[in-house]
Amino acid sequence: MKFTLNWLKQYIDCAELTPAQLADRLTMAGLEVDAVEPLCHDIDEIVVARVESVSRHPNADRLTICQVTAGEGDSRQVVCGAPNVRAGLVTAIALPGVTMPGGFKIKPAKLRGEKSDGMLCSAKELGIGDDQGGILELPEDLPIGQSLVEALSLKDIMIEVDLTPNRADCASVLGTAREVGGFIGKKVTPPVTGELPKLSGTDLPFAVEVLDNVHCPRYAARLIKDVKIGTSPWWLKRLLLAVGLRPINNVVDVTNLVMLEYGQPLHAFDFNKLAGGKIVVRKAKAGEKIVTLDDVERELDLETLVICDADKPAAVAGVMGGSASQVDDRTVDILLESAYFEPVGIRRAARRLNMGTDSSYRFERGVDPEGIPFALERAVRLITETAGGTVVAGGVDLCATLPQPVELSLRVQRTSELLGMEFTADGICALLNGIDVPARKQDEATVIVQVPTFRVDLEREVDLVEEVARLHGYNEIPTTLPIVPMSFPEDDQARSLRKRLTTLLTGMGCYEAINYSFVNPRHFDMLGLSEDDPHRQVVPLLNPLSEDQSVMRSHLLPGLLENLRRNINHQQTDVRLFEIGKVFHHRDLDTQPQEVMELAVVMSGRRHPGAPRLHDGEALVDIYDGKGMVAAILADLRLSEVVTIEADSSSPAYAVGQSSLRVVSNGKMVGRIVRLEPKVLKKFGVKQETYFVSLDLVALVGLTAAPKVFASLPKFPSVQWDIALLVADQVGAGEMLAAITEHGDSLIEKAEIFDVYRGKNIEAGQKSVAIAVTYRAEDRTLDDETVNGVHKKIIKMMQTRFDARLRDA
Amino acid sequence: MEDEILRLKSEAHVALADLGKDDLEPFRVKYLGRKGLFTSMMRQLGQASAEDRPRLGKLANDIKQELAQAFAAKQDALGGGQQGVSAVPSLDLTLTGRSEPCGRPHPVTQVMEEVCGIFEGLGFTVAEGPDVETDFYNFEALNIPPHHPARDMHDTFYVSDSLLLRTHTSPMQIRTMTEQEPPLRMIAPGKVYRCDSDITHTPMFHQVEGFLVDRKVSFADLKGVLSVFIAKMFDADTAIRFRPSFFPFTEPSAEVDIGCVICAGKGCRVCKQTGWLEILGAGMIDPAVFAKIGYDPDQYSGFAFGLGIERIAMLKYGITDIRLYYENDLRFLSQF
Repeated sequence: MKFTLNWLKQYIDCAELTPAQLADRLTMAGLEVDAVEPLCHDIDEIVVARVESVSRHPNADRLTICQVTAGEGDSRQVVCGAPNVRAGLVTAIALPGVTMPGGFKIKPAKLRGEKSDGMLCSAKELGIGDDQGGILELPEDLPIGQSLVEALSLKDIMIEVDLTPNRADCASVLGTAREVGGFIGKKVTPPVTGELPKLSGTDLPFAVEVLDNVHCPRYAARLIKDVKIGTSPWWLKRLLLAVGLRPINNVVDVTNLVMLEYGQPLHAFDFNKLAGGKIVVRKAKAGEKIVTLDDVERELDLETLVICDADKPAAVAGVMGGSASQVDDRTVDILLESAYFEPVGIRRAARRLNMGTDSSYRFERGVDPEGIPFALERAVRLITETAGGTVVAGGVDLCATLPQPVELSLRVQRTSELLGMEFTADGICALLNGIDVPARKQDEATVIVQVPTFRVDLEREVDLVEEVARLHGYNEIPTTLPIVPMSFPEDDQARSLRKRLTTLLTGMGCYEAINYSFVNPRHFDMLGLSEDDPHRQVVPLLNPLSEDQSVMRSHLLPGLLENLRRNINHQQTDVRLFEIGKVFHHRDLDTQPQEVMELAVVMSGRRHPGAPRLHDGEALVDIYDGKGMVAAILADLRLSEVVTIEADSSSPAYAVGQSSLRVVSNGKMVGRIVRLEPKVLKKFGVKQETYFVSLDLVALVGLTAAPKVFASLPKFPSVQWDIALLVADQVGAGEMLAAITEHGDSLIEKAEIFDVYRGKNIEAGQKSVAIAVTYRAEDRTLDDETVNGVHKKIIKMMQTRFDARLRDA
Repeated sequence: MEDEILRLKSEAHVALADLGKDDLEPFRVKYLGRKGLFTSMMRQLGQASAEDRPRLGKLANDIKQELAQAFAAKQDALGGGQQGVSAVPSLDLTLTGRSEPCGRPHPVTQVMEEVCGIFEGLGFTVAEGPDVETDFYNFEALNIPPHHPARDMHDTFYVSDSLLLRTHTSPMQIRTMTEQEPPLRMIAPGKVYRCDSDITHTPMFHQVEGFLVDRKVSFADLKGVLSVFIAKMFDADTAIRFRPSFFPFTEPSAEVDIGCVICAGKGCRVCKQTGWLEILGAGMIDPAVFAKIGYDPDQYSGFAFGLGIERIAMLKYGITDIRLYYENDLRFLSQF
């Protein structure tokens, strides 16, 4: 909602406030001011001039040589290219030495050989309008040579308010003025007061029939004959231009002005274009169409309320008029409509037709049903003033069931309790009466409020409590802390797990990524997922912003791969990123999808990103980094006993088969550790080796962590004996290790592989696995003989189970 | 003086040649130490004439360096010297240390945790809900019926007629209140979605919604809790103002502004010259919301508030482009 300061002052004397103070008070009253700007910038030096005579430019068809007066005794030649330049035209000139808005400095010049001593200006060039079709056309009685700003009263301030949807009453300059009155303690002066002409009559030259009075509970109309359509007077154009509306003609401009002034949208029909001289308000019929004022043909549906003549729709009620009955240069008689349309109906129609207009904006929020005849009368007066014509006596004002003024009672104690400070009945009455909401004290405990019809938002007691708080000032309400019983918030395990994982992973050098929850469905093909892969069961959006963001993600990997590509493209090739986020699994159309929290990590480039190359070399990340990461996480979460990592025989298409591990708990897969398939990476624009780790956090939360139980510290020393064994290449060294630790002899404390070797001195197809075994007894220092006994058993087991041979020392 | 220096040189080298392992340290102290002969020689250089001084200084210094190297070689030859022999840098301590640098949580996570932490300290429970919500929880139960103009404030992504991507985390108010009885104190952090994308809007962002319901909770209490929050989140003397606004699920409703953290309230581009930054929406829970749940609005009252994490992070860290949050560029992530 835009208006100017001078416009506002027509209804309320607020000279005591500077524009900045006014803006601040409005903001603090809940009418948030978005902008306070001078109406025009940098045109103080432009003056009014008259074109005395014109002649053709000898060297250019489109240019005109003008003799111009820009003040008493002044006469100069100016070359002008505007099509509307003519002798006698009063317009604006920038004289040599003047700087135009935008910084261009006017100098005496020669244009195609002809002297030009200044520039005649268009509204656009001066920043006071959009019209660039020609130079400014000003009233002939303006004093030549006067400053344009003064002559056109351009010294004004434009104020823009960001209205909340509840304040329909302030979608008008009058409504805003009423609010201003509230905080400066004055009353508004509306342009129309007193008794209005009676809108009835039997011999009217037109008829109105409302067939749907639920959606159109009030319809008023008057006829004005013999108007003279033309451009509006400058004061009217200026107001519309100031708030960003395009002046059209004197009749349409008046309807727009009154809409801005009263908040009541009006419509003017060319009466002679209405078939049968008749208005019928009804729902559209099947197949009906209308060409609206924006020259678009629109199909109407049965729900849309239309204003028709005897035959066909002439306007979409409350949204936009039709071009067939629009007021144009040849219009002689006009029928002026001022009506109340039911808000939800208008909103639906505007949505369906995808056309939000200044009119629909106001109707869908609710106009003042009692303001209708006032707005109509104001428009009638202004039209006859600017376009002449004769008002046909009487008119139509059909009323059905309108929103009725409500009487509310407001409990003083309730108000005080809700706001946290003491109010009195008298105090509340004074506040409400200040903004023309009549309130009277019933007794000390109760205030009776007569809600005026323009305040459609005041329906309940609590709405009045808000008004009291607002008018008193939010910042004048004290600041206290609530007194509530002590309670202990319950632990959210999923959240604790996420926090712990974030700590662990950042400790492992990973940065956290956050990606959009919606992705491109093409990702599944890029990952090479099979047609029946459950990840393809996605949740699509009905109205995505783009194909790239059209389905809810079912996998975290694609987002991270796109992040990886981006980083590599920006020369950051050592990347460790993780994301903890939801994936979405489709159930059925009207059921909320299953939302599962997952962890995903991608690792690429050097093993120790960010670590000094000097010490940690250029080693690249490999599958053991992924495996170690998961093992460390499981150990930290004390889940190592219940979750295992094993080779994955049925790895997904995006994994390299031989480098694919799965994380398993109770036979169920809860994660993966894989090297990503180079072909898949290439589809995502990544050319370097990359590893991917994922964990299902919902599954992990469900597992029981091993309890922390103290074990007494050993009193006797341990001994470490090494074994070097030759085994076939395909034997898993990890299995050999497991066989030792699971052997069951109480003297074996731990075992560790310290070398795996193939090559020189080892037969092809064989490898050497070196294992260090630590032995310890609880109750004594071990002697060699005892250790040897167990050690031999282990070697024997290795020989039988793994066909291993002792490697010669 | 030059002779003196040269004499000291040959004396030292002779002594060095005959050095045994046990003589290393006395030698170092005598010639190379802080109070050794070379040091005192350097001090005497002050007495030399101004024109000779630079030349002699360099000579003495070179000789000392040379001797130090020879000493180090001798030390090595004798099988290592003593720790703390600082005259000879056998370790280059200017080299970078060995480290395994940590990553960082996303700035949104960092700010989110900070916000949650403040409210957890005040005894608020943290709860999270589904991202794909029903129209009922996201709108209807929050007093936003179909075709209400307030729906214009939420550009909604729809999944079906009745399902949508939540436009705020306020549905958790309803989910919690339908399951529990007051007193309630809760915050709901999470992702929210609006179909809007430009330099200041991303279609997904993060919000923390909070509410408190009990008997006799007042607007003054709302002001108190949010003032505590702002003082903790920003600065104890951050200016705060509350101004009237509109949300369908609160009445009275307020926007909360803080004094611009960029220009300290003087007026700048970020605060649009107003000196204030909007950071929170809040209000007293509307009785219509209580009615949907079955609470008696005459018995219970409460307040709710919501804030955008990205915006707070932008203000705290001076981030200028909201889109950077979701590109996950390490050059961005490593800054926080």
